[in-house]
Amino acid sequence: MTLKTRLVEVRANALKQNDLAARALRRKFEEAGTFVVSLVSSPGAGKTTLLEATLRRLRERRRVAALVGDLATDNDARRLARAGVPVRQISTGTMCHLEAAMVDRALDELAPGPLDFLFIENVGNLVCPASFDLGEALRVVLFSVTEGDDKPLKYPTIFNSSDVAVLTKLDLLGAGDFDLGQARWNVEAVRPGMDVLELSTRTGTGWERWIDYLESKRDQAKERPK
Amino acid sequence: MHELSIALGIVEAVAEALDQRGGGRVRSVHLRLGALSGVAKQALESAYPLACEGSPLEGSSLVVLDVAESRDLEVTAMELDE
Repeated sequence: MTLKTRLVEVRANALKQNDLAARALRRKFEEAGTFVVSLVSSPGAGKTTLLEATLRRLRERRRVAALVGDLATDNDARRLARAGVPVRQISTGTMCHLEAAMVDRALDELAPGPLDFLFIENVGNLVCPASFDLGEALRVVLFSVTEGDDKPLKYPTIFNSSDVAVLTKLDLLGAGDFDLGQARWNVEAVRPGMDVLELSTRTGTGWERWIDYLESKRDQAKERPK
Repeated sequence: MHELSIALGIVEAVAEALDQRGGGRVRSVHLRLGALSGVAKQALESAYPLACEGSPLEGSSLVVLDVAESRDLEVTAMELDE
């Protein structure tokens, strides 16, 4: 018998496994009425600071929990746990991003019970997390005024895969050359119509709008037919 | 360096398709790679042989078709000896 070489058609997304896991998670969250928010940014943009304050605030009237990914240490989980809500660290080892299966596993281990909000803090990275759906309802990309105002232009993929941009450390505006108008324009250039929230966790500027935004997005999701 | 995860995803998807056909030797895998997918072609090509190790795809090559203005990351075909 001679071997024949033939070309066989295959139609499969390379991210199929992750997409399937994310879809299952999303269905589970929707059925449970849990609104899931993921945070992505470069390291040091202020994800953990914003998240700790957000958890403290929301826990007054909502059931909240958080998962946080890093390559190593449980420093962030310990910081977030100060807010008095269930928190689980996901140590990725050398992995540069979270995947849906990791979220599923961590959630099983945390077993937080019924939740109104679940926050997932991704590994600090503006590149890799863009490709991986985690089953979240809202993906928030953060960048701070101590970074370049051209971050959206440099990392368009993460901005395109996110639902809202949050500009952090507004109290430090003027400390460097960051141009607020230019930053807004750059977000608009890569993702026309994207919501941009500007805030400082330290001084409280823009803070109420952020909390209201989360609540209103959760309300909208609840009203959406399943 | 999420390209290794992507490469493993490709191997998994192709191994599944291969299984459905009842096996065969894979010579190459064809992939549509969108410029907006966030995946670097060179890194993916480097990661591919590693991802194939110990799988039915070991020794196969990856043929990448670049697609502009697309987020595609799709296996379109496999070349088989059967």
